[in-house]
Amino acid sequence: MSKNILSVRNLHVKFVLRGRELHALRGINLDVRDGESIAIVGESGSGKSVLNKNFIGLLDQNGFIPEGEIRYYGMGDKLRHYPGAGSDDNGSYIDLTAFKKKEDWLRIRGSEICMIPQDPMTSLNPLKTIGWQISEALLLHKGMRGKMAYEETIRILEDVRIDDPRRRYKQYPHELSGGMRQRVVIAIAIACSPRILICDEPTTALDVTIQAQVLSLLHDLKERYHLTIIFITHDLGVVANIADRVAVMYAGDIVELGLVDEIFFDPRHPYTWALLSSLPQLGMRGEELYAIRGTPPNLFKEVQGDAFAARNPRALEIDKRELPPYFEVSPTHYARTWLLDPRAPKMDPPAVIQKLKELGKEETHHG
Amino acid sequence: MGSYIAKRLLRSVLTLVIILTIVFILVRQMPLEGYFPNFEKMTPEQIKNGLHSMGLDQPLPVQLYHFFRDLITKGDLGTSRIYRQNVPVAEILAPKIPVSVRLGTMSLIVSLLLGLPMGTLMAKYKGKFFDHFGTGVIVLIEAVPAAVYYLFIQFYGTEALGIGMTMLGDKDFNNWQYWILPVLSMSLGNIAYYAMWLRRYMVDESTKDYVLLARIKGAGEGRIMFRHIFRNAFVPMVQYIPTSFLNTVIGSIYIESLYSIPGMGGLLVDVIKKQDNAMVQAIVLLFACVGVIGLLLGDLMMVALDPRISLAKKGGDK
Ligand SMILES: Nc1ncnc2c1ncn2[C@@H]1O[C@H](COP(=O)(O)OP(=O)(O)OP(=O)(O)O)[C@@H](O)[C@H]1O
Ligand SMILES: [Mg+2]
Repeated sequence: MSKNILSVRNLHVKFVLRGRELHALRGINLDVRDGESIAIVGESGSGKSVLNKNFIGLLDQNGFIPEGEIRYYGMGDKLRHYPGAGSDDNGSYIDLTAFKKKEDWLRIRGSEICMIPQDPMTSLNPLKTIGWQISEALLLHKGMRGKMAYEETIRILEDVRIDDPRRRYKQYPHELSGGMRQRVVIAIAIACSPRILICDEPTTALDVTIQAQVLSLLHDLKERYHLTIIFITHDLGVVANIADRVAVMYAGDIVELGLVDEIFFDPRHPYTWALLSSLPQLGMRGEELYAIRGTPPNLFKEVQGDAFAARNPRALEIDKRELPPYFEVSPTHYARTWLLDPRAPKMDPPAVIQKLKELGKEETHHG
Repeated sequence: MGSYIAKRLLRSVLTLVIILTIVFILVRQMPLEGYFPNFEKMTPEQIKNGLHSMGLDQPLPVQLYHFFRDLITKGDLGTSRIYRQNVPVAEILAPKIPVSVRLGTMSLIVSLLLGLPMGTLMAKYKGKFFDHFGTGVIVLIEAVPAAVYYLFIQFYGTEALGIGMTMLGDKDFNNWQYWILPVLSMSLGNIAYYAMWLRRYMVDESTKDYVLLARIKGAGEGRIMFRHIFRNAFVPMVQYIPTSFLNTVIGSIYIESLYSIPGMGGLLVDVIKKQDNAMVQAIVLLFACVGVIGLLLGDLMMVALDPRISLAKKGGDK
């Protein structure tokens, strides 16, 4: 197994809103492996974006980190004079939560960790040409200018499969379609040549065929540029195509983590069951689509026990009182639910999930 | 591009014709006695002759026709009858125009040179000392009537610079010290205006997604301010520049008389009072030209700065 490039340890994030505190991330633990592609799924408001904004130091002004560490291993001991530098059995790291000055982040942003933000339509500067915006990244991180930067920009435009790059170079964002702008944003990220690329719902604003193209593009780029990809989405359907591992987030916590197959074919947390059940691809024709009832917990109050218990019709008594630990399902698969406690009553997952399990078995037989 | 400018120019000319016609008719509604300083002592015969010599006894449309005919065919703006008897208007204005233009241009440059950096810095240090300080200055400038600070600047300024009260007569014309106070007085309002709007637009822009992407890219705060936000915030600013330039021209009326600057500003009031029709028309025409050209330049600048605005589409409105 490859080494970690990023390790999130007991990360808490709170926001101050009109004097009240909202506990948006409640003790996240997550290791990201070098070169993998990991998906973070969860419904709207579960904290996916907040978690990832921490990695590039772009938490909103009213947010703060009361507790936790984010160890980034990608720079070895290059930043050893910075506060937060250290080393553990995975290697030398820098703790990103220890950065004090805005300028410190310039060592990380772009060149180490880069992000494709949620909305491609508005992410480009309307008054600068496509070429200018890509070469700016080249200038910032590789010191490239002039002819060299131009040729490199053209090469990257080709890499993100934009046709007629020499013409596109001179165009402005409003002259491009949504899918094309998305590619340009990806091109900018590539020009930074980061180790980790965070894709925050990169395709939600696009129509289905373009979505598929962008996903396959990201897949290719990952190989060519040896990227580690963190893929944020609330669409599990997308996940199957791109991710090696999946982390399921609920109410500011990771409730289940495993290889893609483990999450799809052997999910253990009731919230994961609910998420999978609501996938339209799995529904039977004529059957009503499953929808998770209720709303996520109010994060202004401290959550008691399993955060999902209130919406889980079959929750156990203990779910409402005590936070379950992570139970190991396999060395790569963990879930935070009391159902995995040996003392818990035996409970079968819903029918759809059992069907998935069978599908999974067939697949392993064939594969 | 060329055809757009042609269209705009045509429209501008039309605007000028309309303005001139209105002013032409308005000044002719003034009472007759205004034309003659010693009206009471004049016989009806004398009055009739007087009016005849000024062409005022003809029907309005005929007068109007003659005016435009002379203007277009001969470039003749008419002759002053009262301000300076029987001297062509053009001859009176010719030496004054460069003075006013010089004052106006200097004021515009100073306003931009001070107002834009002030707005930028206020946006950069939003909520910090400089922002509050700047806001205070802006409020002060906007709240105190211009006439008051004009006098204030003249009074304390001349003292501080050690120069006399009357100035910009012919001999001091090229001495830059004498330009400081009038230019400053004329610029203060615009400095506040530019700073205020630029700050606002820059703060607006700084929350946009493209700024986030620039940050993600690893651009530093200074670069983000100057290379990304400034230009985007400047585009909506551009539309204020012609208007404020016009205000400057109007402001110059007062400033020029305060500092006895031999420009056109004070002249307009003077010739309106004296009912020197030809002079009034000519000066209004000049001011209107400045306005029309200013607006045209503003639009062209906007097109030059923002690739999303296309000339063909813009041609439709103004
Ligand atoms: N600046 C902020 N101030 C207060 N609360 C915030 C702030 N930013 C995020 N939150 C809250 O933190 C929680 C997580 O938000 P986040 O944007 O990470 O959700 P998400 O999982 O990315 O959702 P989506 O799929 O809609 O993008 C939400 O409850 C949100 O309201
Ligand atoms: Mg989000």
